[in-house]
Amino acid sequence: MKRALAGATGPLLAAILVAAPAAAQQVDPRLERLDAATRPVVAALIDSARTASLPTEPLVQRALEGATKGAPEGVIVAAVRRLAVDLGRARDALGSTASPAELTAGAAALRAGASQTTLAMLRHARRESLIVPLAVLADLVSSGVPVDSAAAAVLSLARRARDADLVEFRRAVERDIALGAPPAAATAAAATASAQSVDVNAGARPQRPGRP
Amino acid sequence: MGIHSVGTSDAALVRRVQTGDTRAYADLVARYRDRLGRYALHMLGNREDAEEVLQDAFVRAYRSLARCDDPERFGAWLYGILVNRCRTAGARAARRARRFVNDPAALETAPLAGPDGRADWDDTVRWALARLPSESREAFLLKHVEELEYEDMARLTGAGISALKMRVKRAREQLQAMLKETERV
Amino acid sequence: MDDVIERIARHLRRPVQVDPALDGRVMREISALPTPGGATMVGKAWRWLRRPRQFTMTPLGGLAAVAALAVALLLFRRDSTSPAPPQVASRAFQFVLVAPRAARVSLVGDFNDWDATRTPMQRTGSDALWTVVVPLEPGRYHYAFFVDGSRWLADPSAPVARDDDYGAPSSVLTVGGGGDS
Repeated sequence: MKRALAGATGPLLAAILVAAPAAAQQVDPRLERLDAATRPVVAALIDSARTASLPTEPLVQRALEGATKGAPEGVIVAAVRRLAVDLGRARDALGSTASPAELTAGAAALRAGASQTTLAMLRHARRESLIVPLAVLADLVSSGVPVDSAAAAVLSLARRARDADLVEFRRAVERDIALGAPPAAATAAAATASAQSVDVNAGARPQRPGRP
Repeated sequence: MGIHSVGTSDAALVRRVQTGDTRAYADLVARYRDRLGRYALHMLGNREDAEEVLQDAFVRAYRSLARCDDPERFGAWLYGILVNRCRTAGARAARRARRFVNDPAALETAPLAGPDGRADWDDTVRWALARLPSESREAFLLKHVEELEYEDMARLTGAGISALKMRVKRAREQLQAMLKETERV
Repeated sequence: MDDVIERIARHLRRPVQVDPALDGRVMREISALPTPGGATMVGKAWRWLRRPRQFTMTPLGGLAAVAALAVALLLFRRDSTSPAPPQVASRAFQFVLVAPRAARVSLVGDFNDWDATRTPMQRTGSDALWTVVVPLEPGRYHYAFFVDGSRWLADPSAPVARDDDYGAPSSVLTVGGGGDS
C-alpha cells in the first residue's frame, strides 16, 4: 500500500513557498479587507493553490481571520502559506478524490503532527467520509496525546465506528486527561471502550432477567 | 382519576390489579408519576420525551406486572423499567438530532419552571447535565438526585458498583469543570 | 459533597409536575390490554429462588438559590420530518454563550468570513444567555465569540484550535456527515 506520498505536489509546494507576487487572474473581493501590502501576496498564494487544484476557501478564511484579529502582514502570509502546504500534503496522502472538507481536516491533522502515512492508512481503512476521524486525530494530538497513540487509536476505530462514536471517543479521552489520566493511557482505554460500544451498537445486547 | 384509597400500600394495589381491579393501577400511576417524571425529564432534557417515556414505562409495567417479583418493591421495579426506557429514548433522540432543522425558533427549549424563577441557573444546570455522556448523567441522577445506594443502582442499571462509582465521579468532576467560573464576561 | 455539586443536586431534586392528563392516557392504553395476572406457581418458585434486595427511595430534597456562571454550549434539535438527503446537507447548530455582563456578542468564524458584523447573537430566555443559529455543511470550522467589540472568547466546551496562528483564542467545530465534534 505504499504511496508516493511526497512527490506528487513537490514542484507545486516549491511554488507556494516562493509565492511570487504575480498578478492573479481574479482576486477574491473579500481579500479587500487585507491591507495593500498583504493582499497581493496572499492572492498569489491562493492563486497557486487554485492552480494545484487545492481548495482555496480555507486559505481565504485563514487570511480573513488574521485581518479580523489585526495580525501583521507577515503573520497572515505565513499562516496562509503554512495552510496551503498542509493542504497539499494532505492531498498527497488522501488522494485526489478527497473532498475539500477532508483536506482541511487532514491539514489540521498534519499540522498537529500526524504523518502522511497515517492519513493514507485512514483512507484505506474507511470508506465513509474522513472528516471526523481526521478531526478527532488532530484534536487528540492537540490535547497532548502522543501522535502514535492517537493514530493507532483512530485507525483501530476508523473501520467500524460511526462519526458519533469517534466524537464520543474523543470526548472520553479529553475528559480523562482533564481528570489527570496520562494521555496515552486515556486514549487506549477509551479506544477499547469505544470498540466494545461499536460492537454492542452493531446488534449484540445483553439480556436482563425479569425485564419486560 | 382521583385516589381511590389513600394510604394503601403498593403491594396491595399491585395485588388488586393482578386480580382484575384495573382502576387500582391509576392509583399507582398517580403515586409515581411526578417522581419518575423528574428523573425522565432530567435524563432526557425535555418534557415531551419525558412524558412519552413515562407513559411507555407505565404501560410496560402494567403489561408485565405478573413478573413483578416483589409487589412490596413495585416502585423500584417500575424505576428499573423507566431507566431502561430512558436509555432507549436517549439513543433514539441522538439519531434524530442529526437531521436538518428549518426553524431556528424551534431550537429554543422552554426553561424548567421553578418556584424561585432563576431561569438562568436552571438553563446552566440543564446545559451542563446535557453535556454529560448519558451513562454519567444516569449515574449522577440516580446517586445524587434520586439518592439511591450503589447496590440499588447496580440492580437497576446492570452495571457493576465500581463502574457506577467511576461514572458518578466523572460526572461530578465534569460538572465542576463545566460550571467553574473561568471567565466573567 | 462539593458545594457546586450539592447546589446542582438540590436544584434537580425540586419537585417536577407532570401533566396529570398522562394518567388518563396510561389508563386508556392499558384498558385494551389483558389483565396482567397475579402470582402463579412459577412466579412463586421464581421468587423463592431469587433473593430480593433492600431498595428504598429517599425523600425529596429542598431548593437552593445559586449564582449564574459564564459558560457556552452547542445544542441540537431534532426534526420530525424525514431524514436529510445524503452528501452535502446543512445542519443547524445553535451557539450559546452565557455572558450576563456583555452588551453585545457576535459569533465569528470560518463560516462567516470572520466578519464580526455578520452574525450578532441575541439575548434569549434569560439576560445571561446569548444565542444564534447557524446552518453548517460538513467541514471543520474555527470560531470564537467577539464580546463588546474588543474581546475574543473561545468556547470553553469545545476543542481549542491549536492550529491557531494569530494568538487570540479560537475553538474548533467539526461537522461530519453523521455527527459532530
